[in-house]
Amino acid sequence: MSTKQTLQKQTQQDWANREYIEVITSSIKKITDFLNSFDMSCRGRLAVLNEKITRLERKIEYLEARVTKGDTLT
Amino acid sequence: MATEKVTLADALSNVEVLDELPLPDQQPCIEAQACSVIYQANFDTNFEDRTAFVTGVAKYIEEATVHASLNDMLQEGQEHAVMLYTWRCCSRAIPQPKSNEQPNRVEIYEKTVQVLAPEVNKLLNFMYFQRKAIERFSAEVKRLSHTEKRKDFVSEAYLLTLGKFINMFAVLDELKNMKSSVKNDYSAYRRAAQFLKVMTDQQALQESQNLSMFLATQNKIRDSLKEALEKIPSYEELLADVINLAVHMLETRMYLLPEEKHMLVKVLGFGLFLMDSEICQINISKLDHKKRIRLDKIDKIFKNLEVVPLFGDMQIAPFNYIKRSKTYDASRWPLCGATLPSPQADLMVHLPQIREDHVKFTSELARYSNEVTTTYKETRSPEEMKEMMELALRGLQLLSEWTSIVTELYSWKLLHPTDHHQNKDCPAEAEEYERATRYNYTEEEKFALIEIIAMIKGLQVLMARMETVFADAIRRHVYAELQDFVQLSLREPLRKAIKNKKDLIRSIIVSVRETCADWIRGTEPQDDPATKGKKDPDNGFDIQVPRRNVGPSSTQLYMVRTMLESLIADKSGGKRTLRKDIDGSYLMAIDQFHKNSFFWNYLLNFNETLQQSCDLSQLWYREFYLEMTMGKRIQKCCVKHQHNEECKDVVTLEKRIQFPIDMSMPWILTDHILRTKEPSMMECVLFPLDLYNDSAHYALTVFRKQFLYDEVEAEVNLCFDQFVYKLSEQIFAYYKHLAGSIMLDKRFRAECAALGTRFTYPPANRYETLMKQRHVQLLGRSIDLNRLISQRVNAALLKALELSVARFEGGDITGVVELSGLLDVNRLTHKLLSSNLAMDDFDAMWREANHNVLAPYGRVTLHVFWELNYDFLPTYCYNAATGRFIKCRDLLFSQPVHRDKPPQTPYHYLWGSKALNIANGNIFNQYSGFVGAPHFKAISNLLGYQGIAVVMEEILKIIKSLVQGNILQFTKTLMQAMPKQCKMPRYDYGSTGVLGYYQAQLNDIVQYPDARTELFHNFREFGNALIFCLLIEQAMSQEEVCDLLQAAPFQNILPRPFVKEGEKLEAKQKKLENKYAALQIVANIEKLGTAKQTLIAREGDLLTRERLCCGLSVFEMVLNRIRTFLDDPIWTGPVPVNGVLTVDECTEFHRLWSALQFVYCIPVGENEFTVEQLFGEGLHWAGCTMIVLLGQQRRFEALDFCYHILRVQRVDNKDETVKGIQLKRLVDRIRRFQVLNSQVFATLNKYLKTSSGDVDSQPVEHVRCFQPPIHHSLAVNQGHYYRPDQLLRQSLNVANTSGIIANLTLEQH
Repeated sequence: MSTKQTLQKQTQQDWANREYIEVITSSIKKITDFLNSFDMSCRGRLAVLNEKITRLERKIEYLEARVTKGDTLT
Repeated sequence: MATEKVTLADALSNVEVLDELPLPDQQPCIEAQACSVIYQANFDTNFEDRTAFVTGVAKYIEEATVHASLNDMLQEGQEHAVMLYTWRCCSRAIPQPKSNEQPNRVEIYEKTVQVLAPEVNKLLNFMYFQRKAIERFSAEVKRLSHTEKRKDFVSEAYLLTLGKFINMFAVLDELKNMKSSVKNDYSAYRRAAQFLKVMTDQQALQESQNLSMFLATQNKIRDSLKEALEKIPSYEELLADVINLAVHMLETRMYLLPEEKHMLVKVLGFGLFLMDSEICQINISKLDHKKRIRLDKIDKIFKNLEVVPLFGDMQIAPFNYIKRSKTYDASRWPLCGATLPSPQADLMVHLPQIREDHVKFTSELARYSNEVTTTYKETRSPEEMKEMMELALRGLQLLSEWTSIVTELYSWKLLHPTDHHQNKDCPAEAEEYERATRYNYTEEEKFALIEIIAMIKGLQVLMARMETVFADAIRRHVYAELQDFVQLSLREPLRKAIKNKKDLIRSIIVSVRETCADWIRGTEPQDDPATKGKKDPDNGFDIQVPRRNVGPSSTQLYMVRTMLESLIADKSGGKRTLRKDIDGSYLMAIDQFHKNSFFWNYLLNFNETLQQSCDLSQLWYREFYLEMTMGKRIQKCCVKHQHNEECKDVVTLEKRIQFPIDMSMPWILTDHILRTKEPSMMECVLFPLDLYNDSAHYALTVFRKQFLYDEVEAEVNLCFDQFVYKLSEQIFAYYKHLAGSIMLDKRFRAECAALGTRFTYPPANRYETLMKQRHVQLLGRSIDLNRLISQRVNAALLKALELSVARFEGGDITGVVELSGLLDVNRLTHKLLSSNLAMDDFDAMWREANHNVLAPYGRVTLHVFWELNYDFLPTYCYNAATGRFIKCRDLLFSQPVHRDKPPQTPYHYLWGSKALNIANGNIFNQYSGFVGAPHFKAISNLLGYQGIAVVMEEILKIIKSLVQGNILQFTKTLMQAMPKQCKMPRYDYGSTGVLGYYQAQLNDIVQYPDARTELFHNFREFGNALIFCLLIEQAMSQEEVCDLLQAAPFQNILPRPFVKEGEKLEAKQKKLENKYAALQIVANIEKLGTAKQTLIAREGDLLTRERLCCGLSVFEMVLNRIRTFLDDPIWTGPVPVNGVLTVDECTEFHRLWSALQFVYCIPVGENEFTVEQLFGEGLHWAGCTMIVLLGQQRRFEALDFCYHILRVQRVDNKDETVKGIQLKRLVDRIRRFQVLNSQVFATLNKYLKTSSGDVDSQPVEHVRCFQPPIHHSLAVNQGHYYRPDQLLRQSLNVANTSGIIANLTLEQH
């Protein structure tokens, strides 16, 4: 194999290597995208859950106050 | 940890699977790109891998080496520029020794040197750097300006890098000129250092002197650069090339990022300045004349961009370089010389085009993004990928264009501040920065800015979402285009070059191919006829070009482009240019490829380019203005004391550390939306806030300054609080206004409209989208906007409720109707808000506002009772004809009441708006003159069973205290004034005689002073209390009946159906029952629910079914309770002598009441008040109730004095005035009160008998039967003398003649 061919082979190898890197990179990118949307989705759902819990807490607080009629619960 | 082997294919498929996980997010996207994790891969090697390209033309590999080092220098220059821009004055914070005798002087200087030394070191490095950079640049220019070299081709990339150098010098020079704090700090350091003699050696002293001079000399960098350049012969030729390239790039839009565009413009200005040399006798006008450069084109460019942004609030006007030149020739600059404003200054001209582009582009983008999200494509066709790449490029170009429009406007405005003449809102003493920002934009411009920012940020989100798709298409297409070009398109020129023995062209083409060709078999096909200069066989030579998902590396792309450029360049080392030896069609193809590939680098780094082309961070930075403001003399006394006249003369130095948020662009825009409440902009309100994200990101990644980030953060904290506060209040006000408009009486609205007054509904606004935001990203924090708004709106509603109670407490009892109305409006507001926000239960909030959570009765109940006690019972008069109580304003028997004034409230806490407040004020004013059915209805609604029970209990206490207190005392007193005996005069005396008799008998009572006033007043209070109880029960019953009726269909209570002839009622009823079976709650839950649910349903049903009005009576209970108060013997008197009943003796209460009735039946004079006027019917109610409860009704009706007069007068119809009493008028009054009394008696008896509906359970009426009386004519022997035991007979006789049946019930005996 001549030098020229070796070089051409090397070039091809370089392309292949870079494509491999690119595949990995774009996969990492996909993972970050997924993480971001997972984060958003979770935050949204946790916020809804938080809202529900807060509401219940407030309701309980209110009901406690209603029930105790002045003397605080210990 | 166990290491499990995962193959690449598995890993990739795992990543693919991620896509399929559903990640729902309910929130509408109205914010800029929100990322918790950012991933940016950068493969730019800055030519580090150049040596790998051994197959390339050696000259360009060398050039790459130079490039790499120049790029490093540019990077360093950028760091110095950042250092200068973000320089904050240190010396101001350092204490200065006040005198030479100060003992700690040395210490101060030592510390000063210690603190400032690292900073000064930076300045020293900066000086060295600029020296080095100038040397390097002039060396490059010198090399390229060599006569031989001039003929050679200089690549575009190289010229551009030189241009970047020119730009760097311009920027550094400008920054150095503008930052005076740098000089101040250095002189502070020098002073301290000289004192301490830190710099001992000669060299250090010299350096210090140099630095001092360098910093102090204005334009030092550009002057030394020019000086260095002027030593190079024909340096202007190279600069002209650079300038022409810049013009060319600007004209053909060969740039992508805003900063690149600005760089090119700066290169033009500074480049022309450098060329214009007196020493070398170079004149740009002459060069223009020689067509070396085109000033007309540059003139146009300069006009379009008068002010170029530099950093944050700094800018350069490039035309100034020309204008200040000595050879300035105005005729060459017709556009720039004119006074017309630059298009840069007018945002509005750009807006329509931007809007159109935005709509067009987003709709096109939507087509792809919908396709991507709905369908899965293994591979796309090459055409599609090309389209996608072009779409991506167009998107980036649009974004970058809009971004530069915004930043250019901002810079222009900074350079052209307003003042109080141009803008009336701007105060004369407004600060510089305020004049440049806050007052410098019109309403329209602010809206336009917001809109454009929203478009930029919105499109950025859309583009970023498509990134993986775009990046994939870009890489695949770039690869395909590149490989097709080198493997296929270049074959023909290669064949031609070999055939024609053009060795240079051949070697370049071969180099290009060797540099980047990716042969499918690993090597170039050996048998390709083109490589031998031969023709292809007839059936063509087939070359398969591979396809990959990867673009060329940065160096590779540079090499290919530069080598191709040398083929088509106008210049070359030899006499002939290479392009002359290449066929036109090939030239075109190469040229086209060269042009297309310009943007590849940007596209391959899609993520970074996207971020940079949307970067609006500089709108926040204001280092220049801060420095200008700091240390400014202001007339203000800063000492904390009582300021006086002298303070006006005090001049202090401003110690401003940051500007208030009102002068800050992001907040100005955010606040503008909030202030105008523009519905179309409301959804954009988060975009201006995103500018803080940009600024913070820039502070962290480019400026790398902690203090800047801290300042951004502090401002965000402040602004966001403000934002949430304002937004929540607006949302509450909006929904309140809406509820108020819905609740406004329809007829009132219609009639007002007929009179020309309209009550507008609030213009629909898009708060809903904002309320759905549950994770807003701000400075890396995730904020639940919905929660924050909910908290505040809940608090606002609670406040509104509290205020409505306070308003009620500030007025009399008539306000209860308004309170009820306010409660309804608030309830509707609550309902409207609840659809988007987590609101507390309305009932719970109402109880809290009413202080009714812990206490059994709330503020409303207390105030109702208070008003009843102090105002209603003592001052109101009842009138049964209208069913209303009217306040007696003529004569007061009690102290006037003082109430706390209700607090002043904003409109939206009451009815929603000013107009609605006025309207409702008028509506409810109609209820303020009386107390009647609407009030009772409202009271029963508001108080509920519990409240009403409390009020009644208290009212009973009042009645008890009246009955057993004042009334009892009066009774005791008056009973003594009563005649011992008061007979019923015979008819024979005639009505005048009877009246005369009674008048005489009752004179003591008539004359008794307090009877008409105090006593009647007490009776009125008693009576009012009774009527109140009666009416409140009626109101309550109505409510209950309504409830029952509404509940009926769910309880299988159906109205009786109409039955036609021949139809059976039962069958029809059964049918109806079946029809509505699904509605019956208990039955259904029994069938479908659990045992517990059944129990609950049953209990609920029971509670609904069992109401007070079904068989129970409050009023009866009240009467029975009152009966127990009447335990004093004075009410009934002693047991009658005759054992049956007292007739003539005045011992029982009804006799006293008869006397009082006589008193109030006496007609009054002209200016006197009647009892009706003063006390109303409460008086009669009180008397009658007592009589009924004492069981004296029949005796009263039989024996009453007035009734007797009436009966006699009916017969003789006399009318005379007897002792000042006009008989006829008296009788009329008696008749009226008789009717009233019987009505009252009837009502009372009805109530008293209700519970005894069951006749059997009642005690048997005790009826004693007496012998029929014997007429006196038959008992002649008995004469006129009656024995005591005959007395009864005699009286019965009288009674008989009066036409009254004589079997009186003797309940009490």
